[in-house]
Formats: sequence, structure tokens, C-alpha cells
Amino acid sequence: MRVAPRAPAPRRAAAALCLLLVGCGRQFSTASPAGPQARRIDDLTWLFTWLGAAVYVVVIGFLLYAVWRGHRRAENAAGPEVERRMRNWVVGAVGATLVILVFLLFANLTTGRAMGHFTGPDALTIRVTGHQWWWEVEYEDPVPARRVVTANEIHVPVGRRVRLQVRSADVIHSFWAPNLQGKLDLIPGYLGTTYFEADRPGVYHGRCAEFCGLQHAHMDFLVVAETPAKFRAWYEAQLHPGSVPTGTIEQKGQQVFLTRACSSCHTIRGTPAGGTVGPDLTHVGSRMSLAAVTLANTRGHLAGWVLDPQRIKPGAKMPPNPLAPDELQALLSYLESLK
Amino acid sequence: MARTESHLSSTLLDAEGRAAMERTWRPRAGLWGWLTSVDHKSIGRRYIFTAFVFFVLGGLEAAVMRLQLARPENHLVTADQYNQIFTMHGTTMMFLFGVPSVLAMGLYLVPLMVGTRNVAFPRLNAFGYWAYLIGGLFLYTAFFLNTGPDTGWFSYVPLSGPSFDPGKRADVWAQTVTFTEIAALVAAVEILVTVLKQRAPGMSLNRLPLFVWAMAVTAFLVIFAMPSVALASQMLAWDRLVGTHFFNPAEGGDPLLWQHLFWFFGHPEVYIMFIPATGFVSEIIPAFAGRRMFGHTAIVISLIATGFLSFGLWVHHMYATGLPQLGSGFFTAAGLMIAIPSGVQIFCWIATLWAGRPRFTTPLLFALGFIALFVCGGITGVMVASVPFDLQAHDTYFIVAHLHYVQVGAFVFPFFGALYFWFPKLTGHMLSERLGKWNFWLFFIGMNITFFPMHFLGLMGMTRRVYTYLPESGFGPLSATASVGAGIIALSVIVFLVNVARTLWLGSPAGDDPWGAHTLEWSTSSPPPPYNYLHIPVVEGLYPLWESGPDRPLVTGMATDRREILVTTVLDAEPDARHEHPGPTIWPLVAALPVGIMFIWGIFTPWAIVVGSVLLVPPLLLWLVPRRRGAEVPTYAETKV
Amino acid sequence: MSETRRVVDVSGLPSVVFGYRNIVSWGTLGFVVIEGFTLVLMAASYLYLRLGEVAWPPGRTPLPDLLIPSIQVVVLLVTMVPMWMADHAARRFERRRVGLLLVVATALTAVSVVLRWFDLLALNCRWDAHAYGSAAWGVVVLHGTLLAVNLVETAVLAWVFLSGRAERKNYPDASDAAGYQYYLSLSWVPLYLIVYWGPRIL
Repeated sequence: MRVAPRAPAPRRAAAALCLLLVGCGRQFSTASPAGPQARRIDDLTWLFTWLGAAVYVVVIGFLLYAVWRGHRRAENAAGPEVERRMRNWVVGAVGATLVILVFLLFANLTTGRAMGHFTGPDALTIRVTGHQWWWEVEYEDPVPARRVVTANEIHVPVGRRVRLQVRSADVIHSFWAPNLQGKLDLIPGYLGTTYFEADRPGVYHGRCAEFCGLQHAHMDFLVVAETPAKFRAWYEAQLHPGSVPTGTIEQKGQQVFLTRACSSCHTIRGTPAGGTVGPDLTHVGSRMSLAAVTLANTRGHLAGWVLDPQRIKPGAKMPPNPLAPDELQALLSYLESLK
Repeated sequence: MARTESHLSSTLLDAEGRAAMERTWRPRAGLWGWLTSVDHKSIGRRYIFTAFVFFVLGGLEAAVMRLQLARPENHLVTADQYNQIFTMHGTTMMFLFGVPSVLAMGLYLVPLMVGTRNVAFPRLNAFGYWAYLIGGLFLYTAFFLNTGPDTGWFSYVPLSGPSFDPGKRADVWAQTVTFTEIAALVAAVEILVTVLKQRAPGMSLNRLPLFVWAMAVTAFLVIFAMPSVALASQMLAWDRLVGTHFFNPAEGGDPLLWQHLFWFFGHPEVYIMFIPATGFVSEIIPAFAGRRMFGHTAIVISLIATGFLSFGLWVHHMYATGLPQLGSGFFTAAGLMIAIPSGVQIFCWIATLWAGRPRFTTPLLFALGFIALFVCGGITGVMVASVPFDLQAHDTYFIVAHLHYVQVGAFVFPFFGALYFWFPKLTGHMLSERLGKWNFWLFFIGMNITFFPMHFLGLMGMTRRVYTYLPESGFGPLSATASVGAGIIALSVIVFLVNVARTLWLGSPAGDDPWGAHTLEWSTSSPPPPYNYLHIPVVEGLYPLWESGPDRPLVTGMATDRREILVTTVLDAEPDARHEHPGPTIWPLVAALPVGIMFIWGIFTPWAIVVGSVLLVPPLLLWLVPRRRGAEVPTYAETKV
Repeated sequence: MSETRRVVDVSGLPSVVFGYRNIVSWGTLGFVVIEGFTLVLMAASYLYLRLGEVAWPPGRTPLPDLLIPSIQVVVLLVTMVPMWMADHAARRFERRRVGLLLVVATALTAVSVVLRWFDLLALNCRWDAHAYGSAAWGVVVLHGTLLAVNLVETAVLAWVFLSGRAERKNYPDASDAAGYQYYLSLSWVPLYLIVYWGPRIL
């Protein structure tokens, strides 16, 4: 439901400006909505912006005129006629303000209602749990064996409603993917629910919006919207336990993973590693980024992260792991093989 | 009824009477005099000075943040330092500068404007200042010992709770807040009683200056808003110290309780600063437009309406918690409607300027700059009152932009305007107009360069309270621009400090009424004598100095050998009683110290409360219990009691 | 200074007044509003926390006892009587009578403070057991703090009058103390109902 009249030309110009400022290709902005929920808010935003800008120009115009006019007077304007005129103008201005506000209230409630009604019984349910400072992602399924657990990267099929349920494992976080939907806080003791849908494929950036401690700045996530077919393929792949290492180097890497500190915090399904403190790494090799989108998932970054996370993300819960070069290389090969 | 005492005179005071007044009201000399002062003017001045020092400190913290964010992945400060710095910035600006500075202006100006000799409870006033000073020094001592609070100025639980903030950082925050609340509540009661009961004869409520109205409404807001954060911060302290579970969801507590209590205070807090600021503007504009304020009554009603509505807005800060639609619809409506009283004020100011002949002095420039910035902040305020829009804007740089337009634009600008306007009354010297204009333009330009780009940063996805950002985020250019603007603001504040220093060094005397303004304080000398007015003036209109000639009526018959103030009736300001005020005393300071011990040591053990309470008793006794006097003090006219 | 200057002569005005004419009473009223609103917010927090719980009191926590807190209500209400009489005596400047009545009020307030300890025991749970305990203790302790402060203030005032230090300007203080007592006594009634009867009804 559209409440805002479109203002195509200036709107596109402003959006282009924003895009220019953001840098090309990056999908992280309220001004380029990729789903109906964000689009509704975006329409409302433009309505507010243009109306607000018009009001600003008018009010400041009156102010400047008043100052200019008054400054040129030889003496004060006075008398009952002047008072009456001033009263008329002020009453008129207040009346106009009231009309604009009532209109905005109406537009705002209409948008709010439409957003609230955007639900769906057959929606894909994704449960996100906030941790200091990463996101645990779990796909609901009636069959427990078909539930997928991953971290910091949420895949959704284009054109399907998503029921997002959020909760927190520690402090308050806030889930925000501006291209798709507004924020929803993750509050300890509460289960929050909202709905969104992506209507064009893309990788959308999201981040924690509520200050949550030392590394609040590095608590991002990605929402990957893809065609239903691609999504299904991804989902099936995620269901598999971690691939069994075939090469000797990968096998050695697995041994490193299981014998060093790694397995006490991380899970790799299909292996004895069952730690739940950090993200599930069963398919870490398939992810685009590391450390809650602090680093791109390359071998070099992974090496740096494993050796000394505190240098990259000071205060993160992961300790440094001083590994011998050959152990490190083996571990990296193993982790990269977990597609 | 004996009425023969020589010190009661029904005629105007002669030279001897004036000398008696000087003797009676003279402060003690030197450092002791400074420590024992109960004069609202000297306390008001030191309050303003202290608040300004905290403004500069808060500004320096902002400067460090802007340097850190000037480029992506900067390493000027660590994440831990950054989190302390932004918390200190917010806490300082809100609790140590914002509220204290407006209340300080009120404590200084209200007694002068209503034509009385002091605030209602002079010793309590001194006590409030000392509590504030101890709180501020405590916060900064902790900060320099690397124990500065690091959970933001609204200190959300559970991040600030015992599980996630071990150590003493959140306790420091909670107790600082407690100190400043004591000070603010004391000041609010002072101002309110002074306004209600100590107005000069004839200053009925419909002749009350707009700034005094603004301070009265503000005092009401303080009285109803501050208990909320006082209670919340005490609950937080108990959760941390003695293991209560108010905010612990595992044991039935609720983190949202904190948010309700905090924002029930936090939203009116904004208006606690904004309403007095509009009061400054409503005094400055008629003074420099050279005519009566258009729509006086409408402005008064607007102030009161703003005060009421401000209590209906706290949920604005909690939209993203997932509240039910219906409730948030109500809060959206309240948020939009508060634009009406603000609009009324703006339109009345514009009308007054239109019909008058504006003189472009520095105070008026700051008032005009205020309107330009406040309209912008108000419009974005209307935007964030909308639930859907706020779900995007909340906790981003859009909010940072909005809140700074509202607080720098609509509070700091009028505050600077007020400093320029009343500086002659405060010190007896005029600030330089030339430097003042530099000050204004640098501030105005710097302010816009700093904060306008932040609207875009927010919509581009930059969340607040991040110590750094990645290069590929694209935030770099706008963030760097904002940092340049911050430098310009810093320059403008330096210009102001130079202006003040220069004026105090070689300023020329200002005279009683350098601006040709209309309120009572301009009829006494600059700075005023300790007793403010040799004779309490009698008020015959809304613009006493413009309406009554130099032979305006005066009050006679007040004692000259005791510190006596005139008590008048609440509505009509009819003379009703004469009340004796206390003289200089050290006990408010001595009593503030055990309170300091109680709260600061109370971070470590609940027994500090017991010890502090016991220590508090002797100074309170010495403060409150009447000393035996050599001779029985004569009493007067008890027939009417 | 011209001879014809208009003046308002206030030399005939009293310097000791009571009630709404007295600025100290207005100050007292201001602090009563502040403290009272804090109590309201504490009670509101109690009720808010109750909304989030299924059982109130939760788990196996027993209901609070009623006997001692009910006696406390009576004692607090009775304390209003000597204070009311002290107020009237103060307005007639009867020094000794005011002093003696304040002694009676002090004794009753001391009883209240002692009873307050048993009020806390009557809650039948600790403050650190769960949010219910925290909220109930919060309400009772907050009001108890005001009681304790009032005990000191009333005692000091009684001593001021009995020791003969009282000047005429101190008599309105006794009158204000009565007003404060009414607030303290009456505010306990709703708090008592919420904390001690609430778990049975809510």
C-alpha cells in the first residue's frame, strides 16, 4: 500500500546522490530498498523529507523577510491593525502546521498498519540470536534434523516472506538490515518478531544498531537474497555435516582443530567438536566473510584472525592461537575445505 | 503592637540606611567568604562557570571522537577509550553542562527578574552547588583513573549490569547521576518557590517575564522527571552492589523497566534544556526588536503545553523494542503534536521581529541562529516521531544529527546568546560585539558542517557509538567533513573564551542597562549589589522598565539590620509577610561532604550509607538548629498569624 | 529622591506566618512532591515487574505476613494525631505543649522505625531472591528511609522546643513537620496495600 505520491525525478536524483556517496555496488542504505517493508518506510521518508524541506524553506523565508522588513523600518509597526494582521498570520501558520501534522500522522499510521499486516503463515522462520559480537542464525523446520545453524550470514529466497525471530544471549542488540526492514531490538528475556521480504537478489549488509559493548562497531551480518532454486541448493548443502577431509593436509588440519582450543568453543557437525561459545563452523568455507563481516573470507584474513583475533577485533571473546606455521597452514586448508 | 524599632522605616533609605544594608548583606571576605557564600548571584556565577568548564571538557571529548572518526580504521584511540569518551561526552553534556547551566542561569536571573533579594532557600542553594561539584569532580577523577563509564549516557541494562560491566564503571555513572539529580532538584524547588512566593509587589502571574515562566515550567519538569532517573540509577546500583534483580531477566527482572524509567526522565530532560532556551530567546527578541513580544499569552500557554506533552513522549526512544502498534500510535500523535506549541513560539518570534526594528547584536544573532537550527531539528524530530521512519533512523547518525540540531542548535545557541546578553549583568562588563559576531558565524557554520552530513551518514547505515568503520563502508568523506566542522566549532569556542578573557582584563563598565531591555534586573547596577535592590521595586506592567518611568514605586519598611525578603501572594503578588534569610554559613559545604562519602564510598559497600548518614547528622544539626543568641530578637506583628 | 515618590510600606507585615503563606512550607511541599513521586514510580515499577511474571510471588516464596505491617499502618496513622495537635499548638505559640507533643510523635516514629524492620521480615523473602523480592524490598526500604530521616528531624525539632532554643520563627517548622507526617503516614497506606495485599489479589 502506497501512501506517498512518488516524486520520480528529484527522488531519483537524490537516490543517485546517496548511491554516489555510498559507493557503487554496496547494498547498505535505507535509500535503496530491496523489499516491500523497507520500500514503505522509504516512501514515507521521502514524503517527510520533501514536506519538511518545504516547511523549512517557508519558515526561514518568513524569518528572513521579517528581519529584513523590520530592519528597514523607521519605527516600530504598531497599532490595532498591525496586531490584527500579525494575529491572522500567526493563527494561519499554526493552522497550516496542524493540517500538515494531521496529514503526516495519517500517512504514518497507514504505513505502520501496512507494515504490521505484512505477515504470513507460511513464512520462512529464521531465528537470530545476538551474541557479543556475532549473530547466531537458525532456520526453523518442523523436522529437527532439517534445521540449519549458521552464523553472520543469512540466506533468504527472493519473493518469500521471512518471519524473523530475535533474542539475545547476553546484552541488548538490534538487528538492522536497512535495505530490507527497520530495526528490531534483541532484548534478553524477550522474543521479538518481525517480517520482511527481499524482492530482488543481492547481498545486503546489516549490523547491530544498539550499543552492545567493546566491539559493537564490528558486529555486522550479511543477508544474501537469492532465487528460490539457489536458496534451496544452499539450504541442502548446509544440512550436510562438515565434509570429511580427504587430503592429508586437511586431515592434519582437522587434528589441529580438534586437539587445540578451537573445538572447545566451535562446532563442526560430524566431528567431536561441539563448542557453543562461538559460531558454528560446519560450513565456514562457504561464507563470504569472517568475524561478523569484519574481514572478507580469504586465506590470509583467516590466518590473521586465527592467530590473533585481538589485533583485529580487540575484546572479542576468541583468544589468540599461537600455532606453528605448518599447523596453521593445515588448519586453514581444513577450514577452507568446509564448503 | 510596638512599632518603634529604628530599623524599620516607612520612608526611602538615606545614606545611613544604605550603609546598614551594605553591612547586613556583605559577604565574608576571601576564601572563607567564597566557601560560605549563600548569595544566589555568586553561587549562580560559579555554577555557570563550572558548567561551562564541563562544556569545554565535553567538547574536547567530542573533538577526540571527531578526530578518531575522521578516517576509516583510525587508531587514535582504542575501542575501550572511545566507549568511555562517548559516554563521558553524553553524560557531561546532559548532566554536568546542560541541566546545571540552565538551572544556574535560572538561579542567577530569576530572583533579579522577579525583584527579590535572594532565592528562597539560600543555604540549600549552596548545598546543591557543592553536590553538583563533587559529582562532576568524581566523574572526571574516575575517568582519568581509567574507570570512566563506558555504556553510553543512557547506560542500558544489562550491558551496564553486574554481569556485563564488572568493575566500577557503571557505578561511577549511577552515582554521578545521583549527585546531579540532588543539585537539579534543589535548584528546581528554589526556583519554583522563588517564583511563586517572592515576586515583587504587583508582579501578578500575568506580568511574569517569559524567561521566568520558562524557568517555572522547567522546575516542574525537573520535579517530575528527575525522580524517575534517580530511582532507576539507584535500582541499578542495588543490582550491582547487593544483588537485587530489578533488571535481571533470569530472575524475573526486566531490562525494559530501565528504559521506561530512564526515558520517562530522558525525554523531558531535552525540554528541561529547551524550554529555558526559548525563555532566553523570548527575552532577547523583544529587547532587540525594540517592541513588546507579540503573543505573550500564547507563548506562556505553549510553554506549559510543551511541558505537559514532554511526558507523553518517552516511548519515542523505544520504538525498536517491538511495542504493539496501538500504543506507539498514541506516542506518534503526541510527538507530532508537540510541534504545535513550538510552532506557536516560532511564529510569535517571527511576528515580533517583523513588527519591530531588529538590531543585529550578538545575542540576537544567536537567537536567529537558534530559530534556523531549531526548525531543522524540529522537522527531523517530527520525522523520528514516526514509528516506521524511526525504525530506520533509530541509533544511527541521523539521530546524532537530529539531537545535536536540537541540543546545540536549540539549547547551546540560546545559551551563548544569553551569555552575551546578560554578561554585563553578570560581570559589569560588555563582551566585544566584533568577536561575538566571529563567535556566532564560526559556530553557525561549523555546526552545520558538522551535523548536517550526519543525516546522510545515518540513512547510509552508519550506526552511532562505533569507534571506527571500514573503508568500504563509504562513510569516509562525510565523516571527514563532519570532523572539519567540529574544528570550526572548536575555533568559535576559543573565540568566545578569548572574548571573555579580554573583557575581564580590559572591559569597560557596562552600566545598568546597556541594551535598553525591559525586565527588572536592568534597573539595578551591573553587577547587582548583594541585596539586589536597595528598595524592592513595585511592578505595574509586563514591561516594567519600558512602561514605568524612573519614578516607579518602591517598597519601604523592610529591615536593614537583618537579611529580610518580602513574601508575596502566589497569584497577585500582594505583599504578605517579611521572611528572615540566613547569612553566610559553611555548613552546606560541610554537609555536602558526607553525602559525597555516602555515594562515592557506597560504590564499594552498602555500609557507606550508614556511615555517611551518621556523619551527616552533626553538620545538619549545626545548619538547622537555631543558635542561642545574646539578646532576644524582637518579633513583629504576630496579630495576623 | 523626590518627596512625592510613591511607596508601598510593608513594615506592618508579619515575619512569622504559617501554611501557604510561609515559603518554607512551600519548600517542604516541593520535596514532598519529589519524594512522593519517587514512591509512586517505585510502586509502578513493582506493578510493572508483576506484569512480566506468571506467579506473584514466584515459585515457592510464601505470601507476605499481614500482622506487623497492619500494626505499622495503625501506628503511622496514630502518629498523625499528636502532630496535628502540635500544629495547632504551634500556631498559638505554646512552646512547651509543642515540645511535648513532638516528643510523643518522636516516640511513635521510633516505634515505626523498629516495626519497619519487622515489616521487612514479614515479606518472607530476601531482596536478592528474585525480582519480586527486589521490588517488595525496594518499596518498603524506600519508605523506611523517609521514616528514619523523619525520626531524626522530629527528634531534633522536639529538642529545639523543649530546650528553649525555639524562636518564634521556628514555630512554623512544627506546623510543617505535621504536614510532612500526614504525607508520610498516608503514603504508607497504598504502599502497604500493594506490597502486602497485592500478592494475594493481583
